[in-house]
Amino acid sequence: MKKIIGSVFLVLIAFALFALPVRAGDLNVSAAMSLREAVTEFSNAFSAKNPGVKIQNNLAASGALAKQIENGAPADIYFSANVKWMDFLAEKGLVDRKNTVVVAYNAVVFVGKPDLKARTMQDLVKLEKIAVGSPRSVPAGDYAVQAMKKAGIEKQLEGRLVMAKDVRECLMYADRGEVTGAFVYKTDAEQMAKNVKILFVVPQELYPRVTYPLGMTAAGAKKPEAVAYFRFAQSAEGKKILAKHGFVVE
Amino acid sequence: MPLFSHSDYLAILLSLKVAVVATLLSLPFGFAVAYLMTFRRFPGKVGLDVIVNLPLTLPPVVVGYFLLVLLGQHGLIGKWVLQPLGIKLIFTWKAAVVGTAVVGFPLMVRSIRTGMETIDRRLVEASRTLGAGWFDTVMTVIVPLSIRGIIAGSILMFARGLGEFGATIIVAGNIPGVTQTIPLAIYDYVSSPGGDAMAMALCLVSISISVVVLVFHEWLSRRMVRAD
Repeated sequence: MKKIIGSVFLVLIAFALFALPVRAGDLNVSAAMSLREAVTEFSNAFSAKNPGVKIQNNLAASGALAKQIENGAPADIYFSANVKWMDFLAEKGLVDRKNTVVVAYNAVVFVGKPDLKARTMQDLVKLEKIAVGSPRSVPAGDYAVQAMKKAGIEKQLEGRLVMAKDVRECLMYADRGEVTGAFVYKTDAEQMAKNVKILFVVPQELYPRVTYPLGMTAAGAKKPEAVAYFRFAQSAEGKKILAKHGFVVE
Repeated sequence: MPLFSHSDYLAILLSLKVAVVATLLSLPFGFAVAYLMTFRRFPGKVGLDVIVNLPLTLPPVVVGYFLLVLLGQHGLIGKWVLQPLGIKLIFTWKAAVVGTAVVGFPLMVRSIRTGMETIDRRLVEASRTLGAGWFDTVMTVIVPLSIRGIIAGSILMFARGLGEFGATIIVAGNIPGVTQTIPLAIYDYVSSPGGDAMAMALCLVSISISVVVLVFHEWLSRRMVRAD
């Protein structure tokens, strides 16, 4: 009897292990953290129209997601907050360039307490601590560091930049008052900030425009659900969702 | 072998510095707690034991979060004690020390207790009957007889401190050159495409330091066993 129970148990474990990964109708969406609300809404709307498709939203810094995909993490759709990481995957052959399309734009702003006197990049050298996404993986941080370099204040800010793992953590640091200010996207500041507000918009000439490419991975291109999702995100309805969350759609 | 950047070297130095300072700061407290737990009977002993050992089983993230809630700008200690004194702790290397100290503390206490429990109680009693005050007894009997436990505990805590991540990233943040320790630098590289080589190189540094420290600890504890 014990033996039978034991083998039943083993079979069950084997089922559990093998049943988890690829299942028809599953869709893995890896999206930049700044798109959290927009992508969640996308996925919900898509699920409502396509019952039976189970969507998993994986939200993190775009660079971290690209790294996961490079290492074989399941992903059918990839939303990046910059062109750099999409190009990175394209170069590795993990995304076909013809399956990518730019869907939205954003801008980098500086947030802080409403009474903080910081109106230009030059004012930042007086501040004590500034949160910024880690430029190695967070596009918002990459844009911000590029802007600081171009404004010539990068050296002066050395040792005062707190690296966040994604743009929302960056905003949270500022919101909780642990840093004087933070570089985040306009959309994050407008939709998510509670105790801080936009002090200034980082001048566009200091960094490349924040661009959100949407891509279908090599694995995703083979799935009809992924193709449908890819089209849905570019549709008028998809654009409406992005616009609603403050993104610039052209 | 890729060449480390300036901030990577600083991360290695900072890890050592944080672990050393946290260990030295904890030493008197660790000794006191171990002394109380070994030689004294008092109400709430079990409670103290649980509280001291809690960081051993709690996720370090929880420890970090509690410290942030306590010591942060709006925290109980942060707002009413640190701010009036003009001390800013969160997102400085001192916060990393506090986090590391709390997480590593139980390891130190355990080792010192093990050392103290091997002391023959009669020696302690003899010193008291010969007229030594408790402080004298502690300094001349207990410390020398448990010195190996004290050293072993310090080493263990130091080793744990080198690897502290969860609490550190929350209270000290990730500031290259200021609060970015080895684990935090590795974390930064690991989530970055193309960062594998650097992550691996820092992992090797981390492994080397740990191996040296643990071998030393093992050697010491063997000597301890032999000495008994």
